[in-house]
Amino acid sequence: MPDSGASRPAALRFALPCDLGHVRNASRAVHQFLAEQGCSEEILSACDLALVEACNNAVQYAPESARSRPVVVEAICNPGRLEIRVTDHTRGFDWPEKIELPTPDSESGRGLFLIQSLMDSVIYLRGSGENTLVLRKSLSDEVPLNRSHQHLENDGLITGLLEEITSCYESLSAIFRYSADPNHAINLKKFAHRLLTDLAAVVGAEWFVFRSARDHSHIDVLTASESALDMGSIEYREGHSDTSFLEAQAAILRKTLWFDEQSTLAEADPIRLKPRARGLIYPVFVNDELLGTLAIGRNGKANAAPPIFTKSQANTIASFAQFLAIQIANARLHETSATARISARELEIAGSIQRSLLLKELPTLRGFELSAFCRSAEQVGGDFYDVLKLSEDTALFVIADVMGKGVLAAMFAAILRAVLRATPELNREPAALLARVNRLLFDELSEVDMFITAQLVFVDAKARKLIVGSAGHCPLLVADASGVKSLSPEGMPLGILPDTEFVRETVDLPEHCRVLLYTDGLTEATNAAGERFGQERLMEWIHHTRGPAGELQTNLANHLGTFQFKSSLNDDQTFLIITG
Amino acid sequence: MKLQNNGDTLRASAIAELHAANANALRDEMRRAFGQTQRNIEIDLSQTSAVDSCGLGALVALHKTAAARGGVLRLINPTPPVQQILELTRMHRIFEIIKE
Repeated sequence: MPDSGASRPAALRFALPCDLGHVRNASRAVHQFLAEQGCSEEILSACDLALVEACNNAVQYAPESARSRPVVVEAICNPGRLEIRVTDHTRGFDWPEKIELPTPDSESGRGLFLIQSLMDSVIYLRGSGENTLVLRKSLSDEVPLNRSHQHLENDGLITGLLEEITSCYESLSAIFRYSADPNHAINLKKFAHRLLTDLAAVVGAEWFVFRSARDHSHIDVLTASESALDMGSIEYREGHSDTSFLEAQAAILRKTLWFDEQSTLAEADPIRLKPRARGLIYPVFVNDELLGTLAIGRNGKANAAPPIFTKSQANTIASFAQFLAIQIANARLHETSATARISARELEIAGSIQRSLLLKELPTLRGFELSAFCRSAEQVGGDFYDVLKLSEDTALFVIADVMGKGVLAAMFAAILRAVLRATPELNREPAALLARVNRLLFDELSEVDMFITAQLVFVDAKARKLIVGSAGHCPLLVADASGVKSLSPEGMPLGILPDTEFVRETVDLPEHCRVLLYTDGLTEATNAAGERFGQERLMEWIHHTRGPAGELQTNLANHLGTFQFKSSLNDDQTFLIITG
Repeated sequence: MKLQNNGDTLRASAIAELHAANANALRDEMRRAFGQTQRNIEIDLSQTSAVDSCGLGALVALHKTAAARGGVLRLINPTPPVQQILELTRMHRIFEIIKE
């Protein structure tokens, strides 16, 4: 786990118009930033070229409809490692497993090769509507990883990705532990400081001040990024002279106030401690009552105004501030009540993490139809599915159930999804991929006594075959004219044993076949009489029901709905159907 | 960019950068200027601070233009960063590189 006390990296972020003429400006800006961080000439020239290639692609492949949207470039300089991210709005592409030079007479096709050759690691994260290319370069004197050891390099890459996710996850899990255990003595101040320090790193802010409200009249500093900003109390009552201060105004007006070098600030306004700063003040309310204010911003430089926060950064700031406010409110509540509970707000956040993991659109697979269904129980669980298209004819289907509820389960689902997407070289090998994922996640999972059941199904539409690997997950059902097969290749759930072996099974997919991946929320569904839906009923259903995947999905959802009519949903229900 | 005719050779010089935004324009301009009787193309890269993959593409295209007339493409005095990308993409084996 990263140490929250470690120094924060230097970062640069800007938007680039979607136009080739601006690409050189981007590389100049990053060059200057990296030079200021003390990068060597060699590193600078490698980054210049890799960034130009990345931006060229981001611009050249943007569809007409996305031309008005800028390409976002970020550079982050950590001690020992630098990272450049380029976020595009192209349709994205499959990053090739192996990048080779085109023939010498080819006039194109050298860009990705250059990027790969110049950087120590490259990750292409495909999203919906936008994709991010992450370029990393080691700054240490050590010789970079030998590229001939492909696996070593990928392990480093995954570890890097994991670090990143866990740095965010740790804040959330700390909150989880904190809100779940009222007897756990935790220093609210320290906790807030740590959470806000993480927030600042996430949104690229350089300073923050969190004030908590007292007696409907004062906002007192709870924590600040530096002691100079710890300016004590402000009164925000009508008529008081302090009400001209920006933080007091945000509290009174009950709305977010933005400030920059143009803002007129009262003489003694604490925000003045940061000359030429830009940022915002967000007042937080719990049950319609002011709980506090968060001021967060970037430092103005003598000659350049820092960019103001983007809308999504402002949203992130609001979420973190609200989350912190809930914890403070809970802490106050816990003084009188010892009832441990997961706050409604936390469930809301867990729910939004879970929803964000689900694909907005399923990919297509030649000759097959796909359909997915996911219904969340009241207490958000950790069900999730994913489909990774590997080529026109191949895809990896993922279904998993993280044991546990709330934010922690949702975060593990997010980590699992990221790790699977970062391991393309094993996407055709479900059993080996499960073994890798288990090794990577074991420590994290066992630390919090959680585990994940998962099933990975690699489908080759051309060869009409599938390969399945399972980590203690429900069986895979494959139905065709000859009957229904229930496949459960051996394998323990992830997070139980550090070195689990997984078995793979291969089956043919004849004409008119139906394949069902599901979570135990289906078989565990109970009706009013307390009877379980069970696997037999499910096998019976798939045996007798024909049609395209979309129709089967509606049919099964209705079937389940009728069965559990009037009884409450006590677990997530998720399934994926493939027909062809 | 400056263009100069030296007998059977067309020479381009004073190119600050050769990248996605100007590579195709440079290629087209040179093809237009390439005289009927000329065979060889020389590109002076001594003032060129950066070349990207699109720039390389333009060089390959000009290499083909010259080859079609039985001539060659010569790169003159590439700067170290340009030399580096030529070597990285193995193009230094294809083009004739001359250090004057």
